[in-house]
Amino acid sequence: MNRRTPKIIRFASSLKVAIVLLILIAAYIVIGTLLPQHGDPSLYLERYPRAGSLIIALSLDKAYSSLIFRVLMALFSLNLTLCTVISMKGQVKQLDKGFFPSFQSEEFVIEDVEREKLLAYCNRRRYTIADDGTVIKAGTYRFGVLGATITHIGILVLFIGAVIGSRSASDETVNLLPGNQHRFEKQGFTITLDDFHMTFQESGAVQQYISTLTITDDDGTTTSEALWVNKPLHHKGLGFYQANFGWASNLQIADDSGAVVAGGLMRSGYSYFYQPSHLTIYLYNYYPEMGIGHQDQPVKMSEREIDPYYAVILYEFGEPVGSYIVAPGDHIHYKDLHIYFTHSVAYTGLLVRKDLSYPIVLTSFIIMLIGLFISFYLYPRFISYEGGKVVTSSRRNGWVFHQNVKSALANKD
Amino acid sequence: MYQRIENVTFIIAFAFYVVSALLFLIQISKLSKRVEKVGVLTTLAGLVLHTVAMAARTIGAGRLPFSNQYEFALSFAWGIVLSFLILFALYRFGAIGAFVLPLAILVMGYASMQNKTVRPLMPALQSIWLTFHVGTAILSYGSFALACAISVIYLIDSKRTSEHKILAEPEVSDILSYRVVVFGFMMLTIVIISGAIWAQKAWSRYWAWDPKETWSLITWIIYAIYLHMRLRKNWRGKHAAWFSIIGFVSVIFTFVGVNILLPSIHSYVN
Repeated sequence: MNRRTPKIIRFASSLKVAIVLLILIAAYIVIGTLLPQHGDPSLYLERYPRAGSLIIALSLDKAYSSLIFRVLMALFSLNLTLCTVISMKGQVKQLDKGFFPSFQSEEFVIEDVEREKLLAYCNRRRYTIADDGTVIKAGTYRFGVLGATITHIGILVLFIGAVIGSRSASDETVNLLPGNQHRFEKQGFTITLDDFHMTFQESGAVQQYISTLTITDDDGTTTSEALWVNKPLHHKGLGFYQANFGWASNLQIADDSGAVVAGGLMRSGYSYFYQPSHLTIYLYNYYPEMGIGHQDQPVKMSEREIDPYYAVILYEFGEPVGSYIVAPGDHIHYKDLHIYFTHSVAYTGLLVRKDLSYPIVLTSFIIMLIGLFISFYLYPRFISYEGGKVVTSSRRNGWVFHQNVKSALANKD
Repeated sequence: MYQRIENVTFIIAFAFYVVSALLFLIQISKLSKRVEKVGVLTTLAGLVLHTVAMAARTIGAGRLPFSNQYEFALSFAWGIVLSFLILFALYRFGAIGAFVLPLAILVMGYASMQNKTVRPLMPALQSIWLTFHVGTAILSYGSFALACAISVIYLIDSKRTSEHKILAEPEVSDILSYRVVVFGFMMLTIVIISGAIWAQKAWSRYWAWDPKETWSLITWIIYAIYLHMRLRKNWRGKHAAWFSIIGFVSVIFTFVGVNILLPSIHSYVN
């Protein structure tokens, strides 16, 4: 580092600061993995009577979005930027074909080497050679000196992507039954769920959740495509991900004459309030394939509609008046009402996400990998020769490089 | 049938590794120098049988054995032994086996305690990225185990007189450990990146601060500090050896501890 660089900049860009920041960041995120995140403050005060207030004060209850974490990351980014910019000047100098290191090491010396043999080796390995008749200096992979800088740039691009993502990304969940539509006003298109179904393993476990969508743009263009877990669909900057599913069950309430007086689709865990009788119908759960578990409780064996049942609880004026397990079409008689479910339909839960940062992040991954590869495998290698003595030099991997040169020069060919 | 082949070859491979570890221990105890060759051959035989066990699992399950704790432990141990044999092929340091094979034996012992039932892949795991992500994790973890073993040798050798050293030159074990860490670090970077790309496809987010991915990042930070200190501050010897060992402790916690102690979207590996 240039001595004319202000002291404060030298300090801010130093490896010492980088290591301290990395340790602080690592410690902070370790705690984040050990504590439940985004809980109510009372949770921490109750669960950790001694440390609860400290946890809240240090924002460890929301470690990855807290101001402390952001400040640590900002300081680390600053350190990395300064370090990269400052070291780049020296690295560019080392790209010059006339640059050679000092070759002071006594450790990596090979004695009694024939001049012609060394030249042949260097030519074979495409070294750039400076030969003044007495001293030979040769170097290769000079660009490898940029490996660390490229890696650092990759990390900085990743941080930029992460910041853009945290500022601009948005998502929403859209639940759709077959035939349902959802409009995306800003993007100017509508999606229609043509079909949603599950495929099953022999064991009954779900193999895949598949939604088929038709996308209709405002100009009338339509496209139809299926999406499933690990195969999202992208349209006009939005990503559609198969994230969830559920069952909507068709409730019917009929009077003694058989005339349906109310009804509609309802989800498990939800209630329907029938005002004329002050009756609440609570669909506790829908069991596509029901089994009996411990304590004779109904359990869901699988999502295959093999032997479906509904668990229903009735409340009148807020008081429970009965609980039932009924099959589709089975009537629950309560006073002058017949309550029953005809069938259930699976609905899809799509996560719709807009995140402009992903291409930036993907680019950063590529830059980082290239940087690391150059840094560790295409590092600069130098050789000097004078009077039968060869000295090898490589900052990255001196011993292995020396052994390779030694064995190549020892080879009779 | 495949399960039977898997079970039998797993046990025999385990036995071969135990015998190999004992042979290498005899070698480093200077009781006999000739056992190194036999030790390498029994290790190789163990690895062949280990590979057969994994192949039987692959054929029986219809996919690579990468999807639960048993399968990953089976593959992890395979990665450790493979790394050792590759290093032996390059540098002929068989004595390292006395320290690295016990790690493979422990991981296989851990595998044998896990549920071995073959289960079909859940939807989130049905991706080409599974092979890439877990495959590179095996190479990465295997390398870190090897680096840890070499670092232990360095620490032992640094207290011994030259005639009692396990590897003739402690500097060599120091450099070898560094070389292996570099490879493991490259692979770990690919593991994290491939996991992020996969998460983006499956869950719409490339990073969610899940305990498994967070601990992978912590491991990455530990090794990044190690590499920076080594390359910029010329860290050698004991400091570097201890750091390599600490890094491997973090690897083990990421592999076992996170699964047992912390709720994670990677919980399906149980």
